[in-house]
Amino acid sequence: MDDRPKILIIDDEEVVLDSCAQIVEGSHYQAVTASDGTLGLKLVQELQPDLIFVDLKMPGVSGFEVLEKVNEIDPTIVTVVITGYATVSSAVEAMKKGAYDFLPKPFTPDEFRLITRRGLEKRRLELETIALRREKEMLREHFAAIVSHELRAPLNAVQQNLFVFDQELSGKLTEDQKARLERIKSRIDDLLKLVRSWLRVVSVDMGKLKEGFAPVSVIASISKAIESVEPYAVRKDIEIVISINDRLRPIEGDSVTLTEALVNIIGNAVKYSYEGSKVLVRAEEKADHILITVSDTGAGIPREDLPHLFEGFYRGKSGQAVEEGHGLGLALSRRIIEAHNGTISVESELGAGSTFVVSLPALRAQPTPQGG
Amino acid sequence: MGQQKRLLMIDDDPDFVSGIKAILDAANFEVDVAYNPKDGLQALQTKRYDLLLLDIMMGRGAEGIMIARKLRKDPKLREMPVLIITGIREQIAFLFPGEPIHPRFVPVDELVEKPVEPKMLLEKVNRLLQAAEARKARAN
Repeated sequence: MDDRPKILIIDDEEVVLDSCAQIVEGSHYQAVTASDGTLGLKLVQELQPDLIFVDLKMPGVSGFEVLEKVNEIDPTIVTVVITGYATVSSAVEAMKKGAYDFLPKPFTPDEFRLITRRGLEKRRLELETIALRREKEMLREHFAAIVSHELRAPLNAVQQNLFVFDQELSGKLTEDQKARLERIKSRIDDLLKLVRSWLRVVSVDMGKLKEGFAPVSVIASISKAIESVEPYAVRKDIEIVISINDRLRPIEGDSVTLTEALVNIIGNAVKYSYEGSKVLVRAEEKADHILITVSDTGAGIPREDLPHLFEGFYRGKSGQAVEEGHGLGLALSRRIIEAHNGTISVESELGAGSTFVVSLPALRAQPTPQGG
Repeated sequence: MGQQKRLLMIDDDPDFVSGIKAILDAANFEVDVAYNPKDGLQALQTKRYDLLLLDIMMGRGAEGIMIARKLRKDPKLREMPVLIITGIREQIAFLFPGEPIHPRFVPVDELVEKPVEPKMLLEKVNRLLQAAEARKARAN
């Protein structure tokens, strides 16, 4: 099978077709000619050419019509118009309709070759872009499955057996050994969490998320998020103080990811709080928006780190070592909140604590909210 | 609590299984293990179990869900409590878009994420077994 690039030339002037065919002969591409638009379009269907030259002025089906039809058949096919009269305006018109370039008659073999080469290059890039985009999409979609199984499975098995060790060896270990086992468990736990948030950043398609939007109760999402963070708070003796107006309107969104965003924000507040302190979670309605405020009295965030806080892979570079953060949680939260047409902002003072404010547009009507 | 309870675990990761089985053995449960869905289904057909511990992501995909669906249709097995132990919660959300995180695969189930703390594992298992007994007592 001939896999050289295919060029189709559509022109009613036999001279043009002949000379083009001659120029192309012996080159690394193959050319097919058509003497009118109807035949040309038939060949487009049959051959699926890479590049089409089409005369704008032909009897019967015009060059413009051919351009339109080609665009319907396969918009990745590159088209070049041949303009019989040296009017730039018709060429411009054609390029507005999707033509890639134009070739004014009369043309030299070199001009034809040059435009052919450029046109085929354009076609190659076009196809490559499509292939890459598809590959990226597939990678993203399969990533969830691959990561969950290949990375998490061994970690889960290790952690599960550490749990058993911990239980079986209780009372037999020295304080030092016990502490070391705790550290091992906690590091594996960090790794599991890291894989998980990484996975989410990559796999959540914010565009698709919007298709499934439904009324969501903010209160339910906050409660779920707090439930999930609570064990860590208890471990550090941190009290999560909740102040929620229980007549908040629902918002339009996705409860699973919204809860996820809140888990990250509240979890962050707990993580950077000092032992025995408090984290405040407040929700209220202001100017048709639901405001969720999470404040802590912890370490605070240095001023120079604030602008980068919601960027992925940022952990803060100043001050003391950041505690086991991986910088993805807040980036993910921002993406989720922005997909909900909301905003997230932060105010912080070093040594005094931080306040995160999430603002989400409230639903106007009051339909029955989806559970959590 | 009456006679020894018999549990079946279906999970394709032997190391993970040993980490669960050790906890259940120590709590005096009798635990059978099937390392793939096929053996698991066969065990369910040939022996009577009080509870099933079921992994979701096995083999070439969510084969555990297949088992759960078969159970739901089987009049003999549908009353058996199922504890789903899954590697990843959001995986479930992918499989059942739009449903809550804990979809009810079978009428009587619970879901925990891997890895499971021993205390939580035993709590869930005992709670499911007790609920099943209470149901049986009511039926009689």
